[in-house]
Amino acid sequence: MVFPAELKYTKDHEWLDSTANTAKIGVTAYAIEQLGDIVHIELPKVGETFTAGSAFGTIESTKTVSDLYMPIAGKVVEVNQAAVGKPESLQSDPYKNGWLVKIEVAGKPDQAALLDAKSYEKYVAEHSD
Amino acid sequence: MEPRKTPLYEQHKILKAKMVPFGDWLMPVSYSGVLAEHKAVRETSGLFDVSHMGEILVNGKGAESFLQKMTINDVTRLKDGSGQYTAILQPDGGMIDDLIIYRLEKSRYFICANASNTDKDYAWLKQQSASFQDVTIVNDSTHWGQLAVQGPKSKTAVAALLPESSRQALEHLNYMEIMGVMLFGGNALLARTGYTGELGYELYLPTEVIEKTWIALLETQGTSQIQPIGLGARDTLRLEACYLLYGSDMNDTFSPLEAGISWATKLAKSDFVGKAALVAQKSAGITRSLMAFRMLEDGIPRHDMVVYQGLEAVGKVTSGSVLPTVGGAGGLAYLDPRNVGVGAEVTIDIRGKRKLARLVEKPLYKAKIKG
Repeated sequence: MVFPAELKYTKDHEWLDSTANTAKIGVTAYAIEQLGDIVHIELPKVGETFTAGSAFGTIESTKTVSDLYMPIAGKVVEVNQAAVGKPESLQSDPYKNGWLVKIEVAGKPDQAALLDAKSYEKYVAEHSD
Repeated sequence: MEPRKTPLYEQHKILKAKMVPFGDWLMPVSYSGVLAEHKAVRETSGLFDVSHMGEILVNGKGAESFLQKMTINDVTRLKDGSGQYTAILQPDGGMIDDLIIYRLEKSRYFICANASNTDKDYAWLKQQSASFQDVTIVNDSTHWGQLAVQGPKSKTAVAALLPESSRQALEHLNYMEIMGVMLFGGNALLARTGYTGELGYELYLPTEVIEKTWIALLETQGTSQIQPIGLGARDTLRLEACYLLYGSDMNDTFSPLEAGISWATKLAKSDFVGKAALVAQKSAGITRSLMAFRMLEDGIPRHDMVVYQGLEAVGKVTSGSVLPTVGGAGGLAYLDPRNVGVGAEVTIDIRGKRKLARLVEKPLYKAKIKG
């Protein structure tokens, strides 16, 4: 599986598209493939703040529920209600229209915890059956 | 312990199925996706590998009276080539397993048992048969594989497989009936039964011919007629039809009256194991009854989530999921029929949040088994 080169990734299979002040966060195509049909997504409210690594919502398939983890600290400024309303849309477009939350970045994020596309690709290959 | 594989394991790998452990077994949970597979069964047809299920033979002149004593349903109503849904109970009325029993001939009965309970069922029946004459019990599971073909196009799919001489018989096979067929040189049994709420068939096949049969079913039709279906969709299909899953919806602490299968429980027949307990329970009044509910708010109910009436915890979800055909989500829970009934609203604790649900009539999806 190949992942967009311009994004950063976490070992929990979230992707991050950040500038100096704001960031968009979603889950990768690998996460979606592992989950199966996405039937329900729970996202936080605008204004909620999260530290890096904390759970900000859940993504649910027909069989399992997984927590969504913040790659970096920030305050939620926008939530993708379209994705909540039509969770299956993530399956065809996890990166562009499949973003889940937009945040205002807090402080200076720890870049060491984030993977680039090639490193994430390697990580996924090592952990696949 | 190494998980057990059905004879179709290699076929599932070829089809790139997602495999999961299911009890002792490694089974396909999905191929193209649970929702797509669910839809395929409701609209065209689907093929399930259910070879993990158990097959127990009860033979002999004493087989009928033995089974009449061991099961809740009336075995004397069976004719050659017919089957019935039933259960075996503990003396205290708790369910050991739910089963389908087919009478092949007067002294030959064929039982389909749940995969997780086959050894337990066999041990129980064997032990109980010691005090009966002329009855032998055989756990024949290792010799049989099982396929289910379910959906509006299932009859066409099965007919394409059968020799011409058997197709006439297929036309006349009524719901719950069973017939013998030769497939690829093996003696197979074809029953008009299923676990999806659609017209469908279950094929019991000698393990030597199951792979050929699986391939033939998928190849003689295209994917617009029949598709492989995994356990994920099997669960959403059966839940919509409100068919029960042992282990989730019943176990040995629940009686068939509580589980909602009094229709299969013939209290008027001669004595059977567990009868006294059921009669006592019925006269005292049932205090737990398996009821169906649909979510009114977002959230998917799952096994063991707590059900509330106001602030009071009144039961737990036994089975819950999305309902792809019916819409939304829903499930089953044991609730006190003296306090709630159809139309009542309850809340369900879904990961810390209370979500509203309404009790509804069963089934959630009306079965089309008559075809």
